[in-house]
Amino acid sequence: MAFLATFHWGWLLASLLLGLAMGWIAVVHRGKGVSKRTSRWLAVVAAALVAVAVARVIPGRPGYWLDLGLTMFALYLAGCAAGSWLRDWALSRSMPT
Amino acid sequence: MHGLFKWSRKWWPGVVPLVVFWAIAAWTSTVPLETDLAARSTAALKDTVLDKRRIAVAGRDVSFAADAFSEDGRRGAVASVEAVPGVRLVNDETRLIPEAKPFVWSAERDVVKVTLGGSAPLPASKGKLLEAARAGIGGVEVVDQMNLSRGAPPRFDNAALLLIDQIGKLKDGKITLSDTKVSLSGMARDLGGREAIAAALKNLPEGFSVAANEIKAPPYIFQAYKDPVAVTLTLTGYVPDNNVHAALATTATRKFFSEKVVDNLKASVGAPSGFAKAVMPALGALSRLSTGTLVVSDREVKLSGDAFYDAAAAQIRAGLGKDFPQGWQFKADISVKPAAAPVDATVCQQLFSELLSKGRIRFETGRATIDPDSAGLLDRLIETALRCPTANIEIAGHTDGDGEDSSNQALSEKRAQAVIDYLVKAGLPADRFTPMGYGSTQPVASNDSDEGRARNRRIDFVVR
Repeated sequence: MAFLATFHWGWLLASLLLGLAMGWIAVVHRGKGVSKRTSRWLAVVAAALVAVAVARVIPGRPGYWLDLGLTMFALYLAGCAAGSWLRDWALSRSMPT
Repeated sequence: MHGLFKWSRKWWPGVVPLVVFWAIAAWTSTVPLETDLAARSTAALKDTVLDKRRIAVAGRDVSFAADAFSEDGRRGAVASVEAVPGVRLVNDETRLIPEAKPFVWSAERDVVKVTLGGSAPLPASKGKLLEAARAGIGGVEVVDQMNLSRGAPPRFDNAALLLIDQIGKLKDGKITLSDTKVSLSGMARDLGGREAIAAALKNLPEGFSVAANEIKAPPYIFQAYKDPVAVTLTLTGYVPDNNVHAALATTATRKFFSEKVVDNLKASVGAPSGFAKAVMPALGALSRLSTGTLVVSDREVKLSGDAFYDAAAAQIRAGLGKDFPQGWQFKADISVKPAAAPVDATVCQQLFSELLSKGRIRFETGRATIDPDSAGLLDRLIETALRCPTANIEIAGHTDGDGEDSSNQALSEKRAQAVIDYLVKAGLPADRFTPMGYGSTQPVASNDSDEGRARNRRIDFVVR
């Protein structure tokens, strides 16, 4: 992972910023979110993909692409979490209780 | 925390651009990543000794194929590639080079071509051997047919380098190293080469030994050519040492009374035993030929040429082999020179005088036994006598002035008779010759000097 981070730091940073932006928006977004059921399925799929990546089952280039995608996705999620939390914190400060 | 779950339901729209990013990142980074990993894997293997190394990278997985020279080396190489940062998996396709049992290495020489074959332990030692062969043996083509194998004995390189030095001393042949046993066969390039190789093999590294040394020495050649036109005797080839050389030169001047001796002999080791004892009589036989070649090759003596008359040819054929030391062979190819045209008595006398002015018939001191060195001269005299069959010839014996007159008289008569006996044995009719002894009464030179006395001791042929 350390190697991926140094080799692809630009893409990873882009994923993080994208996540940050998405998280910032999501707090006040009024659109429809994914249902609980779907999100559970998505979590299972993500966990399965991580398991596959850790077990190094997929060989060659597809294996590398999976690693790259999961790393970017992880940073995206981290960005989202940070963005949402920041937005929430900003809102709670500006709104008098 | 609850908020985070709630908000996360609405994070999905960002995944769309994320996927686009991912696709672009995968598209642009795969090949540079693979190139980078390949370069760093190769660099990691810089100091390991491997043959046929091949590295292929797909994504972050490295396929690594190579021939290793030891199990430790193989494992070490794989570990070095695994340790390269960024490498995910190593597909280990390495193998050990086969083990040769026995470990055989050979060098073969065919005059201008040296072929190195068999097994070498490492690429470095293979290169070293090839370089040594090219540098050490000038003017030959060096062909490499060596494979790499495991199982070489310790100090293999040193032993092989020493053997490459030896192949330079061969004209053709093969040197084989099987584990620690050395076998040699072939022919040495120079006289003494076989001995030099045997001496060098004593310096083989510890543990190595000679199983078979069948190097042959080149034939020891001595040649003599009697040329009747140039009136020369040419000696070429080898003699064992300077003493034999001097003895041969003296003998040649005595036996070849009219020819100039051209001496191109070289001293060299490796002569067969009994060399001088065989070559001396062979030169005597050559002196009896009108034209001829004597070739002594190791222990084989070949004499070819033309004798002056039939009886001489028969005597040479029958006589020569008897004098030889044991183990020597004699091959004669003697023909008889066509008889020269008959001449009248006056010309005959001239020819006799001419021959006897160049050489004298020699006897043992104080006795009437003809010295074998005079055989060549006698043959020429006999040939001349055959050309004037009607002439009657007086064989006149003379002595020097030393000693008593009566004994000189008797000796001169006996010597004249001995010459007649020789002529008759050669097939001339006895009634054509009259022996006469003059003692010391007719000197042709002063008896005061050795040289003069030598000239006075003589046999004259006088046509009557």
